[in-house]
Formats: sequence, C-alpha cells, structure tokens
Amino acid sequence: MSNKLNTLSLSATALTLALTSALSLVTLPAHAADDMEKCFGVAMKGKNDCAAGAGTTCAGTSKVNDQANVFKLVPKGTCEKTASSTSPTGYGQLMAFKPKM
Amino acid sequence: MSTQQRFTQALLSAEQTFPAGLFCHPDAESRFAVYRNNVFSSLTSALADSYPVVAQLVGAEFFAFMARVFIQTFPPCSPVLVNYGNAFADFIDTFSPAASLPYLADMARLERLRVEAYHAADFPGVGFEALSRFLEYPEQLHSLHLKLHPGTGVLCSSRAVFSLWAAHQGQGELAEVDPNHAEHLLVLRDALNVEVLLLSKACALFIQALQGGAGFGDAVCAALEEDNAFDAGPALALLIQKNLIIHAGLSEAS
Amino acid sequence: MSQYDINTPRSTRAVTHGLPARAGLGLKPDYFQPLAKGCDDLGFIEIHAENYMVAGGPFHYYLERLCEHYALSIHGVGMSIGAEGALDTEHLQRLNVLLARYQPASFSEHLAWSTHGPCFLNDLLPLQYDQQTLNRVCEHIDQVQNTLGRRMLLENPATYLQFNASTFDEPTFIREVVRRTGCGMLLDVCNVYVSCINHQWSTQEYLQALPLHETAEIHLAGFSEAFDRNGQRLLIDSHSAPVAAAIWSLYQQILEHTGPVATLIERDNELPGLAVLLAEARRAQAYLDNHGVQP
Repeated sequence: MSNKLNTLSLSATALTLALTSALSLVTLPAHAADDMEKCFGVAMKGKNDCAAGAGTTCAGTSKVNDQANVFKLVPKGTCEKTASSTSPTGYGQLMAFKPKM
Repeated sequence: MSTQQRFTQALLSAEQTFPAGLFCHPDAESRFAVYRNNVFSSLTSALADSYPVVAQLVGAEFFAFMARVFIQTFPPCSPVLVNYGNAFADFIDTFSPAASLPYLADMARLERLRVEAYHAADFPGVGFEALSRFLEYPEQLHSLHLKLHPGTGVLCSSRAVFSLWAAHQGQGELAEVDPNHAEHLLVLRDALNVEVLLLSKACALFIQALQGGAGFGDAVCAALEEDNAFDAGPALALLIQKNLIIHAGLSEAS
Repeated sequence: MSQYDINTPRSTRAVTHGLPARAGLGLKPDYFQPLAKGCDDLGFIEIHAENYMVAGGPFHYYLERLCEHYALSIHGVGMSIGAEGALDTEHLQRLNVLLARYQPASFSEHLAWSTHGPCFLNDLLPLQYDQQTLNRVCEHIDQVQNTLGRRMLLENPATYLQFNASTFDEPTFIREVVRRTGCGMLLDVCNVYVSCINHQWSTQEYLQALPLHETAEIHLAGFSEAFDRNGQRLLIDSHSAPVAAAIWSLYQQILEHTGPVATLIERDNELPGLAVLLAEARRAQAYLDNHGVQP
C-alpha cells in the first residue's frame, strides 16, 4: 500500500464523508414484509426428483461420441451469434472447432 | 465385487458396460439402459437448470455431451443436488472441446453465484439508523466491519460475462457484445429476488475486501489502489439499499 | 439472526397425526404463488425433502406460508434405504432438522438404493430381494425411525429389472419389512402397475400380497411407454403424463380395501398449468368421497 493511498483512505474525514454520502443516497425504506414477493418472478427448480429421466431405453443405449469424435462436437448454441474480435468473420467460435484429426 | 458396486460401475462407465448375469430377463441390457438414462438425464437436467445460459451458449447437444463427461468424472457426492455442479466451472476450464469459448467457465461461475444467492440464508439488512450511529465515531470508522449477506457474490472476469448474460435475459444484443472485454459483477439477493449488477473493478475490489473481513478503511484503500477516483459513497449506498449489510460493528468479532 | 433459524423447531405449530384422507399435490416452485393464496381442492402438499435442504430464500419463504393452508408431507428421495453400505448419518441429520422445523404430518422414503460409497446416482435403483437385503433394509428403517422419533412410510418401487438371486417376490418383501419395522406403506399405484407390466406379474396377486391395511398414503401418476429389444412392453415411471385410465381404475379398486387414504397427484416433469393438476386432484377427491368412512 502506498503512502499516498494511506493518507487518502485512512483519513477519518474521508471515511466520514463516504458514510454520510452513502446514507444520504439511500432513499428507499427497507422492504416491508408484503413487498418480499412483489417482483418474485423467476422460480428456480428443485433439483431432486423421484421420476425417471427424460428419454427412455434408446437414450441409455446409444453410444456417446468416443474420444476420436470429441472434436467433431462443437458448441451450436447462441455462441454462434456472439461477436468476437479475434474471429476473422467477427462472428462465432466455430472456426476454432475444425476437427484436429 | 458387490452387486451394487457392479451396478454403479456399469452405470457410470464411459464404455457403457453391462453387469451381465445379475438379472433374469432375456433382454436385461436394454432394461439396464433405462437406469443409465435416468442417471444421466436427471443429472444433466439438474445441471441445465443451474446453468441455463451456459446451456444456451453451447446448444443442447454439446451441453449434454459436456455434462455426460462431467457426471462420469465428478458424480454427485451428496443427495442434495442443489449443490451439484460446484466444480462445473473449473471443469469447463479444462474441457478442451469448449476451449474456443473462453468466457464459458466464467459464465458458469456467474450462474453458480445465482443459485447460491437464491438459496442463501435469510438475514435482514441493518437499517439506516444503525449505520448512522457510527458517524459519532469518525476516528474509528477505519475499523468499521460490515458483514455482507451470505448470498452476495462478486465475480471479476477478464471476459464480458455480464453483457453476455444480460443479452440472454433480453437486455442488449448478443451480436454486439465483445466477449473479450473484462467485466466485474455483483450477484445478490434482495428479499426473494436474485439480481446481477455490473460493477467497476474498484467497486468489485471494495466489496470483495469487505467479504474477506477487511475493515471499511482497508476496503476503501483496496479500491483506491485500483482507481484513485473511487468514491465509496455510492458503493456503500448500493450495499445499504439492497439490504446486503447484515451486521455492522467496530470490531470483526462483534 | 436468521428469521428462519433452522435449529429452532416450530413449537407453536401443533404436531399432527397423519395426513388427512384427502387429495394432495406435489409442490413445484411454479405453483408457489397460486397455492399460497389457499385452495379448497387440496388437503395437503408434498415436497421432496432434499430440495428444501437449503439455508433460506424463496423455497422456505413459500413453504412457511403454504403450511398455513395445507397439511405437509415430506417425501425423501435420497436416503438410499436399500444401500449396501451404512446410511449417510449427515443426511439423516439434515432430514431431522428439516422435520423438526416443519413438523410434517407424514414422512416417507423409497424401497430403493441411490448411493454407493461417496457417489449419489440420483435414481431409485432396484434391490435384490433376499434375506440379507431384508435385514439391512429393516435395520436402516429402524435407524431412520429412531433418529426421527416417528413412524415413516415406505414406498413400493417401479422397477425395470429383476435379480436372479432374489428369493422373495416384491410384495412379500414389503410385507416383511412393514411387519418387522412397524413402518407404514406409501402405496404408489402407478409403480404397482409399471412393475407388474414390466415383469408380467398379476396386479391382483401383487395387491393381495401387500399389507394394504397399512397404507397411509397413495401416489397417483402417469407413466410413459416403451418396448425392450425383445418387443416386450416396458413402462417408464416418468411422472410426465396425466394419471392413466388403468391407474384410476386400480385406485378405485384399492380404495375398496383401504378406505379413504391421503392421495397425491404426482407430477415431476412436463408440468402443466395448476388447473390441470387440480382437476386430477378433484377426481381423486370424488373417489375418496365415494368411499365414505373407513371400514
């Protein structure tokens, strides 16, 4: 820690000013109990279930891509729309996913 | 080897082995596959629920593949699945097929903070008056300790994870985000609602210092080292307004 | 201090004895807000214990409020009663804390295993029904009942495989467990049907072998349908469809033997709007009403 910063931050006046300004900026009262759920919208799911998973026998028997095929599988979600300053097209990450075989 | 040990190994094996000889069906293998599917499908759904933007960024097929490797490598070690995936971000860092998405692991870190904030313990914020009374002790403000709500998380990323995340919530255009721009963010729960806010790096360091047990003076100091124009007033106001300060005292223990 | 201090049991809430013989619904976060207003169609709600083993937030906030309107059933999905190894005492303690906090009218778990060593597999896996397993399951149920200080209900499983080395049939095994431990039975009608079709057992013989008079709760659910590679019908306990016609008719038949028993509409996947599930709950309630007073 530099001496300059010590002087700046350790000054009681500076800290008092910061707390005073913080308190002056706080205008809203704390939540009333009735306000608790006012904007509760996104419900996260419970992760524990007692049902069988989606899909049936087929999903459990089909062999997944083995190591040799790993590099054939590329992200195909919204990442393709993500601008990238390093990508020559300015779009997408798929260029980097050319099979290395 | 015991029956359940054989069963478990076959369920999780990457080669999808089958514990032959245990069962009395002409086609026990396809029936066994129902259990294997249940294990992977249910755990993949649990991960997808916790990491919805990660899943959208890579697409369902890639996510299922990445989840399968993760589940085989790090199966859950507790029946409380809400905590499953704590190691997912670190796993993504080492998962070479995802290497071209350098922001993916930090996106997983952001989404993990959201899950933790959602289920964190409930504490009321200390009120305006309680904090005002510390103005009577200006000489001791340096060692004012502010304990933050357990649902509070700070993430400093070298990628634009806040903007990427916001674009998936309908805020901003995904195609306009430069993912290589560093961003710092705060995840919090105010009442029942989890929020994600963009922070300056100095503000992120200030909050991180408070979380680490630093006094008010040292926390301000940490932020000033990053940015000598840092103003602690608005940063502190944010913490008060969002009810994130759950205890204030002039020593760490109090 | 947390407003939901998990170490403080709700001393103000009266301890109830068993679920009301009415229709109930599995609670999902999607239904938190509509159900928090109260709903005459439901006598109870059921939660999966593990989902509420979190410190605070919306799950506890809403469950606290819902408990003011409905009786509560806590249904465990992770105790692994049938595991070869010892029970997870840490998990049992978490369960104890949850039960102390909410004082549910009922606690139930499954006749299955889901952990091996440190690994939790998140599926209800099948047991080899032999003497050794019987002893172990009974010891584990004794341990659970002693720790929790209450009777638990044991749910019959839906299975896709039978073990060569089994020496009991499933209902006889369950009857023995109930007799030796004094636990009650959570009769999942869908599981009875799914297992009987999958193993070509007679549902009538299966039900006759069960101690139906110990039924303290009934589950009704939908299943999905597949075939194994031999072309044999294979039903999957998916909880993703409306209660099937075959399940409704089996349910009415069971009520003849049990009298009215708390009945849960169980839906975990492909969740429809609440109104759809409440209509199923009303249908179950109509059958319960038809069976009047317990014989």
